[in-house]
Amino acid sequence: MPKIMVVDDEEHIRLLYSEELLEAGYEVVTVGSGRELLPKIAEEKPDLVILDIKMVDYDGLDLLQDIRAEHYDLPVILSTAYDTFKEDMKSLAADYYVVKSFDLTELKKKIAMALETRLPE
Amino acid sequence: MAFYEENPQGIGKADLVAAILSYNDADSIGVAVERVSRGLKDHFGDRNAVLINCDSHSVDGTREAFFQAPSDVPRIYLSTETGGSGKGLSLRNLFEKVRQLEAKAVLVLECAIDNLTPYWVAALAGPLFKGTAFVQPLYVRHKYEAPLTSALVYPLSRCLYGRRCRQLGSGEVAFTGAMAETFLNAPGWSDAVSSSGIDVWMGMVAMTARVPICQTVMHAPRLRRSKGQAPELAPQFRRVLTVLFDLMVAYGDFWKRVKWSKPTGLFGMNGRETEVPPTIDVKVARLHAQFLEGFAAYEETWRKIFEPATFNKLMEVRSLTPEHFTLPSQTWATMLFDGAVAYRDADAGARAALIDCFLPLYLAKVVSYVKRTERMSIQQAEDYVEAICEVFEENKRYLIDRW
Repeated sequence: MPKIMVVDDEEHIRLLYSEELLEAGYEVVTVGSGRELLPKIAEEKPDLVILDIKMVDYDGLDLLQDIRAEHYDLPVILSTAYDTFKEDMKSLAADYYVVKSFDLTELKKKIAMALETRLPE
Repeated sequence: MAFYEENPQGIGKADLVAAILSYNDADSIGVAVERVSRGLKDHFGDRNAVLINCDSHSVDGTREAFFQAPSDVPRIYLSTETGGSGKGLSLRNLFEKVRQLEAKAVLVLECAIDNLTPYWVAALAGPLFKGTAFVQPLYVRHKYEAPLTSALVYPLSRCLYGRRCRQLGSGEVAFTGAMAETFLNAPGWSDAVSSSGIDVWMGMVAMTARVPICQTVMHAPRLRRSKGQAPELAPQFRRVLTVLFDLMVAYGDFWKRVKWSKPTGLFGMNGRETEVPPTIDVKVARLHAQFLEGFAAYEETWRKIFEPATFNKLMEVRSLTPEHFTLPSQTWATMLFDGAVAYRDADAGARAALIDCFLPLYLAKVVSYVKRTERMSIQQAEDYVEAICEVFEENKRYLIDRW
C-alpha cells in the first residue's frame, strides 16, 4: 500500500486529505509544519508527498528544493489555493500541482499518475 | 572523422572545455572569446580550462580573429574539412577532441548570441561539477517564441522518454566528457544530425542514457544575431522531425517502457533578476493558408498514413475559419504517432516525402496554439503547453499498440 505524506499547516485540510486517501486505499501520514518535513521524510519514507505551498512557517517552494536535494526521485504534488506560484520557476521541480478543493478527484488522478510513473533503470 | 586543427600551444589535456561554435563570425568571435574567458576565470579559475573554436570552415577570417582576441585561456581551433559544414559536424569534431583531451566537462556556446555574458559559463558548466551529466538551458521566452519546441519537440520527447526538458534543442548545452563518448557511439546519426538537428538529438540521446539531466535557469532571453536572413522554417522543421522519428525507431525498446514523465532537476535558482523577453509576432493568416495549401499536395498521403478517425478529424479541421481555428492536441498527437509508424515502415526515399507532409500540419498546430493563447500571459501559455504534453502522455498507449 503506497504511503502518502500530507504536508499542510491547516488541520482541516490534513483531515480531509487523510480521510479521502485512506478510503482510496493509501496509507497516510500527516505533517503540520514545514520545519518537521525533512526529518519526517527520512523517518517515514513516503512514496509521495503532497505539499502545501503557503505555510505559516515555511515557503513550500523552498521546501521543494530541499526535498529535491535529498530525495531526487520522490514524487511531490504541490497543493495550493492560488496558481500564481507558477511564476516562480522553482515550481518546475514538482511532479504535479493541484488547486485545493473539497473534490479530490484531480488530486487522486495526479497521485495515481505520479505513482505509476516509470522510467527505465 | 577528419577535421582541421590548429593547436599552437600543444594542449594535450584539459579539465574543462569551453567550445564556441562559429560560421563566418570574424566580427563577433573576439567578444565571445572575451566574455567566455571572463566566465571561466571568474567561476572556474581553479580548473584547467581550454577554449575551442568549433568552426564550420569559415572564409571570413574567423580563425585569425579567434586567436587574436585578448584572453589568457589556452586556445585550440577546430574546423570541418573543406566542403563540410554544419553544427552537427562541428560538434562531432568537438566530441572527438574532448575524448583526446580527456576533458571532464564541456560547455558549448554559439558565437552569434548577442547577450552572452560570463554568467552563462557558470550557469551551463556549474551543474557538471555537482553530479549532472547533461545540462540544458532554460531561457526566458515569449509565448510565441520557438513554436517548434512548444508544439512538437517538448510534447513528443517528454512523452517518449519521460523527462521534462522544456527547451530541448535551444542551442547552448553542457555535458560531461563521458557524455561526449556516449554521443560518439549513439545511434541515429544522419544528415539532419550533422546539421542543426544535433541539438535535439543530443538531448534525446542524453535522456536515454539514464544519466542525471538538469535544466539551468538563464534568467535571460536568447538573442541571436541576425546574419541578414531569417532561418528558414521548412528545412529546420524537416531536420527536427527526422531526428525525432529516427530516434523513435532506434530507441523503441526504451520509450515503450516509459510511462508518464518526471520533472528535471533545476539549477540557477539564485534570485538573479529575470529579464523580459522580446515580443514575437505570428502571421496567423499566412500559416493558415499554408495549411490549406497542404491538402493539394498531401491529402492522399494523409489518408494513407492516418487512421480513418484521425483523417476525418483533419477534414473537419480543414473547414474551420482562422477565427475559430483549432487543431485538438489529441488529433495532433495521433497524427504524429501514425506518422512515426509509417516512417518506421518506409524506405529512405519515402521517408523524406513523409516528413514533408507534416509541415502543413505543424503550421496548423501553431495557428491553433496562437489562437488559444492570444489572450494569455506567458505563464498561462506555459500551462497550456503542459496540457498539450499531458494529452501526448495520455495517448501514448495508442502509439505503443500501433508500434
